[in-house]
Order: sequence, then C-alpha cells, then structure tokens
Amino acid sequence: MFDLANAESREDHASRLMRDGEMLAAALPRLVLEARRVAATVVHGLHGRRRAGTGENFWQFRRFMNGEPAARIDWRRSGRDRNLYVREREWEAAHTVWIWPDCSASMQFVSPLAWETKRDRCLVIAFALAEIMVRGGERVGIPGIMRPTASRAIIDRMADALLALPDLATANLPPRAPVSRLSEVVILSDCLVPAETFGEEIRGLAATGSRGHVLQINDPIEETFPYKGRVEFEELEDKLTITAGRAETWRDDYIARLAAHRAALRRDCDTRGWSFAVHRTDQPPATAILALHQRMGPGSRDLGPAAGGA
Amino acid sequence: MLGLPLAFASPLVLFALAALPALWWLLRLVPPRPRRVRFPPTRILMDIAPKEETPSHSPWWLTALRLLLAALIILAMAGPMWNPPAATGGARGPVLLLLDDGWPSAATFDQRQRVASEIIASAESAGRAVAFVPTSRPVVDIALETPGTVRERLRSIDPLPHTPDRAALLPALTKFLAAQPEAEVVWLADGTDTGRTKAFIDQLAPLVTGRRVTVFDTGLAQPLALAAATNTAGGFTAKVLRPQGGPAQVGRVRALDGRGLPLGESAFAFEAGKTEADVRFDLPVEIRNEITRLDIAGERSAGAVQLIDSRWARRTVGVVSGASTDVAQPLLSPTYYLGRALEPFADIRTVEGASPSDAILRFIESRVPMIVLTDVGTVTPAARQALNRFIDGGGILLRFAGTRLAGAQGDDLVPVRLRRGGRQLGGALSWETPQALSPFGRESPFADIAVPADVRVRRQVLAEPDGLLADKTWAQLADGTPLVTAEKRGQGLLVLFHITADTAWSDLPLSGAFVDMLKRIAGLSAAGKPGAEGVAGAPGQARAAERVAPTRVLDGYGAFIAPPATAKPIPSDWRDAATFDAPPGFYGPAEGTLAVNVLTADERLKPLDAGPLSATIERYRLGEPVDLRTPLLVAALLLLLADGLIVFLIAGGLARLIGPRRRVAASLILAAAALTLMGGHDADAQTRRNQDRPVISTGNATDDAAIRATQSTRLAYVVTGSREIDEVSRAGLEGLTRFLSARTALEPSQPQGVDIARDELAFFPVLYWPVVAGAEEPSPQALLKLDAYMKQGGMVIFDTRDAITARPGQASPAQVTLRRILAGLDIPELEAVPRDHVLARAFFILREFPGRYTDGVTWVEAIPPATDEETARPARASDSVSPIIITANDLASAWAVDRQGNPLLPVQGEARQRELAFRFGVNIVMYALTGNYKTDQVHVPALLERLGN
Repeated sequence: MFDLANAESREDHASRLMRDGEMLAAALPRLVLEARRVAATVVHGLHGRRRAGTGENFWQFRRFMNGEPAARIDWRRSGRDRNLYVREREWEAAHTVWIWPDCSASMQFVSPLAWETKRDRCLVIAFALAEIMVRGGERVGIPGIMRPTASRAIIDRMADALLALPDLATANLPPRAPVSRLSEVVILSDCLVPAETFGEEIRGLAATGSRGHVLQINDPIEETFPYKGRVEFEELEDKLTITAGRAETWRDDYIARLAAHRAALRRDCDTRGWSFAVHRTDQPPATAILALHQRMGPGSRDLGPAAGGA
Repeated sequence: MLGLPLAFASPLVLFALAALPALWWLLRLVPPRPRRVRFPPTRILMDIAPKEETPSHSPWWLTALRLLLAALIILAMAGPMWNPPAATGGARGPVLLLLDDGWPSAATFDQRQRVASEIIASAESAGRAVAFVPTSRPVVDIALETPGTVRERLRSIDPLPHTPDRAALLPALTKFLAAQPEAEVVWLADGTDTGRTKAFIDQLAPLVTGRRVTVFDTGLAQPLALAAATNTAGGFTAKVLRPQGGPAQVGRVRALDGRGLPLGESAFAFEAGKTEADVRFDLPVEIRNEITRLDIAGERSAGAVQLIDSRWARRTVGVVSGASTDVAQPLLSPTYYLGRALEPFADIRTVEGASPSDAILRFIESRVPMIVLTDVGTVTPAARQALNRFIDGGGILLRFAGTRLAGAQGDDLVPVRLRRGGRQLGGALSWETPQALSPFGRESPFADIAVPADVRVRRQVLAEPDGLLADKTWAQLADGTPLVTAEKRGQGLLVLFHITADTAWSDLPLSGAFVDMLKRIAGLSAAGKPGAEGVAGAPGQARAAERVAPTRVLDGYGAFIAPPATAKPIPSDWRDAATFDAPPGFYGPAEGTLAVNVLTADERLKPLDAGPLSATIERYRLGEPVDLRTPLLVAALLLLLADGLIVFLIAGGLARLIGPRRRVAASLILAAAALTLMGGHDADAQTRRNQDRPVISTGNATDDAAIRATQSTRLAYVVTGSREIDEVSRAGLEGLTRFLSARTALEPSQPQGVDIARDELAFFPVLYWPVVAGAEEPSPQALLKLDAYMKQGGMVIFDTRDAITARPGQASPAQVTLRRILAGLDIPELEAVPRDHVLARAFFILREFPGRYTDGVTWVEAIPPATDEETARPARASDSVSPIIITANDLASAWAVDRQGNPLLPVQGEARQRELAFRFGVNIVMYALTGNYKTDQVHVPALLERLGN
C-alpha cells in the first residue's frame, strides 16, 4: 500500500515536473518581455576599474620592461620614438552575479489577491536583473545550471537554461556550486524551507566570501491568512496537509510564526553580510528590482562584507 | 393506518425511526468535510500547536436532510404498501367471512368480491380455514372450508335482490362461534341498515367479545334506493334514499312501462347531509297509470327499482250528484267530501250543468271505470240500462243514500232491497241513539281498516232483512244494520253506502276510515276486471289465502329475470318487503299483477352502526395496491445525491471545479441552459404558431371566404345555377387567369364563383355574368348590392352568349332577360366600344373584341365626345372605369381551358380568334384594375419633350 502510494507520488511528481516545464515554457516569452520592460526602467551605469588590466579600453602606454614577452610591444607607438612601449588596457574584470530563481512547486501559487504566480514574478525579477547586470558589464549565471556569461542575450540564455534543466530548476535553494569570493549571489525565493536549512545554505554560499542578497517573494495571502471555518491546508511540495477546525483562530499564531521565520532568515543573512528583503506579488516588480540593484551598487562592493544587508 | 390506505409488510422496522434522534445527535457531532485549499506555507502551520477546537457544526438543514434520508430508508425497509389488499388480522384459527350480498351491495359487488377474495388469499397464505357466509341466504349450518373452495363459491354467487335478513343467521352463527373459539370474524358489510340490523348487531356482540372482529363498512359508493312511490293527484312521486347523508348528490329516475319503454325521466338531488330526496314525475294520469317500474338511472341494484302494480294506478271516478248544484255552500255539498276522500288516489270528474242521467251516460261513454252516485234517486231508463251494462261489463257503481234514494221507487240499482223511507236514529222523535260502527267482518274488503270509534251514524236507509243480506254486507252498525252493502253483478260491482256522502246523516265522511274504504272500493276496480282480483272483495267469498306465483322477478342488480327455483308463491295481499323466498318482482297473472318491492313504503335507510361489536372498522379499498418501496428508495437516492452535491458545494467544490474567474461565466452558462430548457417549449410553440399562420380559420364561413378572397386578386363569375354554364365560366376565367399570369405582371389566384344574393362582391375587380335566357332576376336586395358594387368601382361583364343566334333588330331571349336584370339597376348611357376607347388600348391594341363569336357588339359606358384636343390622341376614357360591359360573344367559352391548359370549346373563326379573345380579356382586366391610366400614357411624348427642354 505504501509502496503503491509512493510510486504513484513519484509518477505524479514526474508528470508534474513535465507539466511545470511546459507551463514555464509557455509563460517565458511573456516573462521575458516583462523583464525587458522592467529592465529598461533601471539604468545601470558602466563602471570601469580605473586600473590597468585585461580589458577592451585603452588605459596607458608604459615603457617595455625587460623580460616581458615581446609580443606585448605596441609597435605603432614604439615607432614614434626610441623607446619601446607596451599598450595597457584598463582592467575590466567583470563582476560575476549568480542569480537563483526559485522555481519550486511552492512558487507555483497564486491567490486571488495577487496578479501572478510567485514563480512568474521571480523569473521577471531574475531576468530583469540579469539584463541590467549584463548591460552594466557584469557576468550573470545561474548556480549549477548556467555558467556566468556577459552575453547580450542573457535573458534568452537564462530561459533556455531553465527550460533545459527543469528538474534542477525546481530546487528551492541553489546547489552548492563553486561561487568565487568576488561574486555576488542573488536568491529569489519564497524561503519557505525551514530556517535551519536556509541558514546552512547561506552559510555554505557565504563561506567563500561571496556577498549575497535574498529576496523573499510572497503571495499576499501568505501574509494575511484570511481563511475561516474548517479548512484543510495542503502544502504543494511535500504534500503535507493539516486541517484547521476553525482557521480564523489560527491566524494570529500563523502571522507570529511567519514573522519569526522571517526574523530567523534575516538574522542568518545579516550574520553573513547578506541582505534580506521581502517582496509581495501584489506589488510591481520594478520596486523590488530597484531596491535590489541599489543594494548591489558599485560602491557597496568596496565597502566589503560589513556593508551588506538591507 | 391512521385512516390512510397504507400498510407495512414489516411494521417492526418502523421502530428504527426511534433511533433518528440519536442519529441527529451523531450527525451534529460529525463536522462537515473541510474546505481544501493549497497553501504553500503549510509547513509553518504545522508548528502551531493543535488547538482545542469546538468542531464546526453541520448546518441544521443538512442534518435534517440526512435524517429525512434515513427515515425514508427505514420506511422503505418496512415495506409500505398504498391501498394494501385487505387481510385478516390474526394468525391462528379459522376465519368467519360474512359477506352482505343483498341489494345494497349489488352496485359495488365486484369490489366486495375482490376484497373478499383478498381476505381469502390472506387466510390461504396463513394456512387458515374459512367459513363463508353470505348473509342474504338462509344458512342452516356454517361449515369450515378450504380457501380454494370458498373462492369458488365466492365467484359463483350473485347479489340477491332483497334486504339481507342477518338476524336469521344468528342461530347458525352462535353454533359456529361456540365451536370455534379462535375464529376471527370478518364482516364485509354493505353499510346499510333498514331497521332490522340493530338487533342482529346487539345479539352478535356478546358472541364475538374477545375475538378479532373486522367490519368493512365504508369506502364504496353508497347504495341508493327507491321507496314510497305514490301516484298523487299532481304527479307520480317517490323517495330516493341513501343510508348516509353525504355530500350533495344528483341523479335521475326513469319511469318505464310494462314493456320496458321509457315513459319519463326526472331528476332528484340530495342536499348535503340529507338521506332522502324526492323525485316527481309530472305526467298525465293515463301515462302515469302505465308506469310499472321506476329505477334510478345508473344504479345497478334491486333496491333502486320500484315496481308499480295496479294498486298505484289512479282511477278516474265519475261523480254524479243528485242534489241541485248549489255551490254557494261547498262544505255542505256531498261531492266536496267525496272529492276530498278520493283525491289521494283518484281523479274525479264531474259534469256541470247536466242532469244526472246525462252525466251518467257521458261517463259511461268516456269509459270511466267507476261511477259514484250520491243521492241520485231515479234515472232515466236509458241511463239505467247503460248503468246495468256498465256494471256487467266490469264497472263499479258506488251509490250513496240520501233523501232522494230513500224516496225513489223501483230503483233496482241497489245491492239489497231497501226499505223505503229510511231510519232516523237519535233526535227528538226517536228513541234510538246514534249508532257507532261495528268492527268490519273478516271477509269484508274493509277488514284491515281500523274502525273509527268516534263516528256516529244518525240516519240510514235500511235493507229488507233477507237471507243474503249478511253476505252482501261489508260494514254494519253496532246494532247489526248494514252500513255498506255490495253485490257483484256480471263482472262489475255495485256498492251502496246506506248513508249520505256528506255529513248530514253521519260523521263517517269526516273520518280517515272513509278515505280508506273508498280507496279499497276503488282498488277493486283496479284490474279493470274486478272478477279476477276483485273476487277477493266479492261478497260471500273467502278473500284470504289466495296465493299468486311469481311471474317476473328482479335479480340483485335490478334486472328482470325468470323466477328462480327458490321463489315461492305469496299471498295476494302481500304488503311486506321482499325476502329470500319472495324476491321482488311481479306476481300473479298478467292482468292482475302484484308488485313486491325491496323496500316497503315506510322503510328508510340508516347507516350501519357496528359500534357494539367493538370491531376494527375498515374501509373498502378501491385502488390497486401500490408498493411504495421503490418511490421511497428513489427519493432516498435523490436525497443522497443532493446531500453529496451540497457537501461538494460546501467544501468549495464549485470554485475548484470552475475556477474563480470562470465562475461568472459558468453561472451564466448554467442560467442560459436553464433558460433554454424552460424556454424550449415556448420556442416550439412559437415555431408551431408560425407554421400555423397560413391556415387561420375564424370558424366563420363568411369570414373565411372573405379572407380567402382578399388574400390575392381573383376573377369571379356569377353562379347561374346551371352547372354547365357555371363550369364553362369557371374554366373560362381559369384560362384567362393563366393567360394573365403568363403574359402580364398580374398573377391572379383561382377564380371564384359568387352568389349575387349571398356573397360579398367588393373583393373582386371583375365579375363575369353569363346571362341565361329566362333566368330569374335577382332579388331586390341582390340588385341593390350589385348596384352598390358597380357604383363603387366594380365592373360587371354581362355576356348574353348569343351572338350567333341573335337576329339583328330583334331581342334574343337572353337579351330580354338581361334587360329585365338591368331594369333594376342604375345603368349609365351605353355605347358600342369606340375605336379609341381605352379598352382597346389597355394592354393589347385591339380592333375587335371577339369571344367565341365575333359578331356581337360590345357595349360600354359612353364616354364624353372627344374634344378637339383629344381627337389626336390614340386613346380616350372617361374619368372612371365603365361599370358595365355587355357582350354577346361568349367570352368564357373562348377562354375556357382544361387542366392541361388546352381549349375546351371551339371558336367560330380561326385559332387566332382565341388569342384575340384572351387579349380582350387581358384588356378588360387591365382596364378594370388600372382605369384610365393608359390614356395618360399618351402624354409621355409631350412630357419627354418638356423634360428635354
């Protein structure tokens, strides 16, 4: 009996994944457009590193030093006098941003109070942010799914990657991908995993010294809990169910617990120098992106980990 | 059960209904199924400690619904049965089945038999013996039988025509019940008590105490009975009876003569709550005397039949008074008392202003069966001879004494020899006191009349004592002197009252006995031949113990049958109700039948009161038994479905099913579907109505014809009455109609024949009138109508059809007829159609106007002479259409075609002539329809010219 039920649930899971993938594919063009529209409203200034390094733009000519490979000599400049010059370019080591859109089942939820599902909102924010970052010269990747790239078609790349690996993409939190010290991690999720799991994840990601931002995306109904009477609540991922005899009496408890959960998340983030913010799907996505972008601003990096947080 | 025709196969199951309150409590406890919502942060909810919650209750109506569901199932399990078959109540011992099979049960005997057979079946299934007792039959011993045998017997019996004499069963019942202490009693009663049942019930009650007794009483239609038929002076009356005063009820009673032919019918009406209703036949006395049977129409029972014999017949009695006709003091007139005494059973005739002898002769001439002479002394020899012949021939002569009779000499029309002079009793000159009457002798016809104690006779005529006097005496005074004597002469009877018919000599005319005596005497004339039945009253003969055998009797349903073997002869003075041995019917020879009826005149019906039996009173069930299990279970199933649906809806099923945003759309769709279902019928009806529209019928022939005539343009012809000519007219106009349809824009419908006198003409633009030589001219009204038609724009084509036979200058017969017709009409001046008349231009250009012939001249209303300006024009017309065209060319014959369109009749000239005739027809129709429009066409060139400039 148990095996049967289990098998069935696995079967169910697989088919649901496929269905989710299809739904995602169907929703993506709309989300991409929306993301582009949102991204266009946010201007991300190009920021050079103000020092010589590998880059596109000319930085300075300097005298050739012995021992350097002769190939570096800029013969055109060197031909104007007796010295040998080397053309140096400004260092433009791109900033890597890892964006993690949570596409788990719990994100596939929309209440009558919201406009769209949490997942859709999450993807819009992720795409828009990626577009803005790439436009700003950063490299954007999805942990475990897509390597960082600065391609102009970043949105399409991300969408393709998400579609190609739907199974991986349904995880709540990013896999433990190698995240370099200097990269930034943006986690877009409803953060409904237990606070311990979440804290551990953040710890793992922040262990390399990377900075991060957590944006908790919630449906308004998850905050207001307007249920009454006898209600059976069903969780979408693990199929947990609980029945409230009179749901209205649970409201205060629930809201308190939700606040406590958020406080725990925020604490976890704060200790690692990460920022934590909450976004509700009944608010426009642009505000969330602006705030997020603000926090990821160029200055913040130089301030070091201590400057993180919202 | 509670007066409802409802029974349960296993009533014990009903105790489960007591568990419903417990179920109520349980259902209140169990909460409804929760609403299921998807909620991502459920994990957080898991941390909330389970609360002590009072469960949310189900709504009360849902609980009630479920209780009803449970109750329905319990009821269904109990095996309910509507109109359950009658059944015995107990389980052991034999069943004593009493079945009332007298006349009250006849009308509904089938139902009673069915109930009885149901009881037998019930006993059979319980393995019980049955004792079957039909209560109308004499029973010596009651035996137990197997149900099968009883069923056979039940099937074989028919209702009997008399009132069941239940009391006669008591000895046998007593014996049986003593022998069978466990016997259960079932009595299928007829619910009717004619007064003899109370004793039966009272005596039965102690016998059945402690037993299970079931009495089937009501439930069937009440029996109706007829009784107390009386032939009164004004009409024949009878009473319709019913045992219980139910709601108002009406019906009819038929009166039939001896051959079963209906003589009359009369209605009766029970008022609500009344058990008697009067019915009355207002028929002439001769017809009333013919009535031998009254019955209630539609009521099949012997009780609803009243047989009438000669005792009911009303005699005609001629009364002749010897006293001078002094009407100033009617109370002193002997005829007054006679009239009052005879009135209830006889019709009295008197002759005003004639001598007694004349009156006697006239009565005998008019065949009056009984003549009363009051104090008539001498009559003329002719009258005496006539009276003798009258008596010999069977008439009854009743004489009253008086001073004239007492003084008359040689009067042999008396039964005994009289001592002339009379006898005065009492008074100043007499030692004797007024005498009372002595009791009537046993052999007297008055034997059963109570002797009035207060009657005193003060004066009488005395009879000569004589050996035969005692035999001839029917009544005498206390001192033995005769008061009434009678003698049979030939076939008739001569009766003498030795007193006057008024109160001068005695008080007798004031007493009721006088009426009875007269009635008895009149009754002796009843049979017309007093010798046959009247022998009973004849002096010197024993009148009792004469027995008459039944000739025709009624069966239980009130139909005449041959007497059954059980019917026995009855005494001829039988006045009781019918019994088993003496079934109702006619007894005795045909000329003096005695009718025995089911009910005597004073019997009334009462409802049966089975109260003393302390029995279970049941009703007869009429309907077929209906097993209610299926409907109950179906209802329970529907409730179950409804419950499921409600639970589904409460748990938010609908929202889940159709989604929040589509809810509105879905409800719209539902509403639309409902509307479609409801509106479907209407839509159908509308479709039908639309289809029906072309065949509107007003139900009025005139209106229908008008509607037909006005639906499209039609040509019409006048129906002349000659079939041949009418057919040619019709065919001709048919041909013209076809030609018009083929050649012009006008497409007329089928031509129609009209009757000038009857039909409305206004619908037809052209009327073709073939003039038949010598035809009758129309009525003035028809001519007025025709005139109006022509004045209002109609056109009539008169066709004399005689161009080939008419001699010039000589009026042909048809022309003469036409002149006669036209003489009544206001006809304008006529002229032969001029060349430039618009008639020659209206559609085709014509030079001549042929029909079948070409010679005739065609006349139209003269148009004013052409002015100078007009001469140049090709066509001329007056301002209106000529109301008349007269031709002799027989147009219709030229136009006439058969169904295929082939010409029917030859024309005088070549085939071209027919074409020209058609063209002329077209021109006529166009002229009639368009008037002088064509003449206006001549202005076209001028108009064009002006437009060009």
